[in-house]
Amino acid sequence: MRLQIGYVPLCDAAPVILAQELGYAREEGLDLDLSAEPSWATLRDRLALGHLDGAHMLAPLALASALGLSGPPSDLAIGLPLSLNGNAITLSNALSAAVAGEDGFGADWRGVARAFARVATARRQAGKPVTLGIVHPFSCHTYQVRLFAQAGGLDPAALRTVVVPPQHGVEALSRGLVDGFCAGAPWNEVAMAAGVGRVVALGAEIAPDAPEKVFAVSGRIGEAGVPLVRAVARAGLWCADPDHRDELVHRLGRRAHRDRELGLVARAFEGKGVDGTGRALGHLHLGEAAQARAPERLDWLLREMRAAGQIDADPAQEAAARALYRPFA
Amino acid sequence: MNPAPERAAMTESSLTVAVIDPSQARAAILEEGLRAAGIGRIVVLPDTADLQERVSALKPDVVVIHLESPSRDILEQMSGVSRHAGRPVAMFVDRSDTTMMEAAVDAGISAYVVDGLRPERIKSIIDIAILRFNAFARLQRELSEARGELADRKLIERAKGILMNLKGLSEDEAYRQLRRKAMNEKRKIADIARAIVTTADLLG
Repeated sequence: MRLQIGYVPLCDAAPVILAQELGYAREEGLDLDLSAEPSWATLRDRLALGHLDGAHMLAPLALASALGLSGPPSDLAIGLPLSLNGNAITLSNALSAAVAGEDGFGADWRGVARAFARVATARRQAGKPVTLGIVHPFSCHTYQVRLFAQAGGLDPAALRTVVVPPQHGVEALSRGLVDGFCAGAPWNEVAMAAGVGRVVALGAEIAPDAPEKVFAVSGRIGEAGVPLVRAVARAGLWCADPDHRDELVHRLGRRAHRDRELGLVARAFEGKGVDGTGRALGHLHLGEAAQARAPERLDWLLREMRAAGQIDADPAQEAAARALYRPFA
Repeated sequence: MNPAPERAAMTESSLTVAVIDPSQARAAILEEGLRAAGIGRIVVLPDTADLQERVSALKPDVVVIHLESPSRDILEQMSGVSRHAGRPVAMFVDRSDTTMMEAAVDAGISAYVVDGLRPERIKSIIDIAILRFNAFARLQRELSEARGELADRKLIERAKGILMNLKGLSEDEAYRQLRRKAMNEKRKIADIARAIVTTADLLG
């Protein structure tokens, strides 16, 4: 059976790509046509309308699509959680210098959040609110930016958030279109390598083990979802094995990032400390830790979606969300 | 006394439509189509990092953006998912009209509109975009087919020449041999020709 599978070129798309490349899909009698999608919105629409049978997707966006809150009506289910963490907040050189002050960054991200809140409050009073980029409204990035602000005592409404497609991140920072952004691997690494910004906090610190990406499966393919999810889950376990890292980086580089970013992709998986605070960048978890059935992560998502004003406190909607989560498990 | 058509024309001419498309040629074709339909102001915006600022400054009534554009997610944010914040732009998805939505997505279109714009006014813009984008895709397909045919013909000419030189055949006989080989192997003549040319290149 031939299936169309979409992904956005990011490190955490690895299990979806590798399910085909390692032959796991074929062992399940499936042939996957992989397509790199230009935006989350387009991926969501193509999945909802049946152009795609499955996709690597922002966890909140998958919920929003299935609940009818974003894009065309869809009948997707969350076949498998793919990844935890991996995001980071990068600030422009100017803003990170202002936040660091004379004492520099401490070892505790909460101290950074408090310093950030002070700078952001002053900027707002001066009529120039701090603008931070996110990747899509329905994303953990949205919630992590909100939680980062709140941890420093800042009302998230005091920030201006705009969407910055990751490939525009370096340009948006260097031209001052944004003062920073929250993005996944390897885009924070890319901005730092370009010398336009500095990582100041990790998603994994702000909200440990936030459910980042999921593998969403269209209801149109029915029972074929079972072997499809099995193949992707097996690839996820392969990806999480440190012995496979070189091959993983190589294959991912070829598929998703072109070779110029290979070193940066590798760094995202290694979780090396590169932000000058001694805190590790990375913490992207694939495989068993991410794929475990963990309903509390779904609860976290629903809570943050509510806090951001994206959904109401509606027991029926929450029950619907729960029914979408891992139906094949 | 029948002022309705005139009034309709006046309202169309008061609309501002922004077009965002990674393909400049396709954007130009849509721009021309919308102009012909009497849309007052059509602005093609470059697909760059400052798109948000440009859209905010332009305040368009409708944004037509190609599905291939990475900037779509920017419009998602501007259209406002938070129902508690009264944002000016709402995403166009008339959920009742899935046929039109599918036709739009098939053609590569997504659109965002100012809240409160009447659905029929959006529909005419989407219809034009579907027609134009499909025509563009057809042209591109024909062009690439024509290029392919031309390349095939050149290949067959070269293969014929090789056979004529090597085996002392006439042009007609060389072509007949190519065709027979293709029929026997259930392959295209161009494939056989390519094999001959490649072999000749290697051995020559």
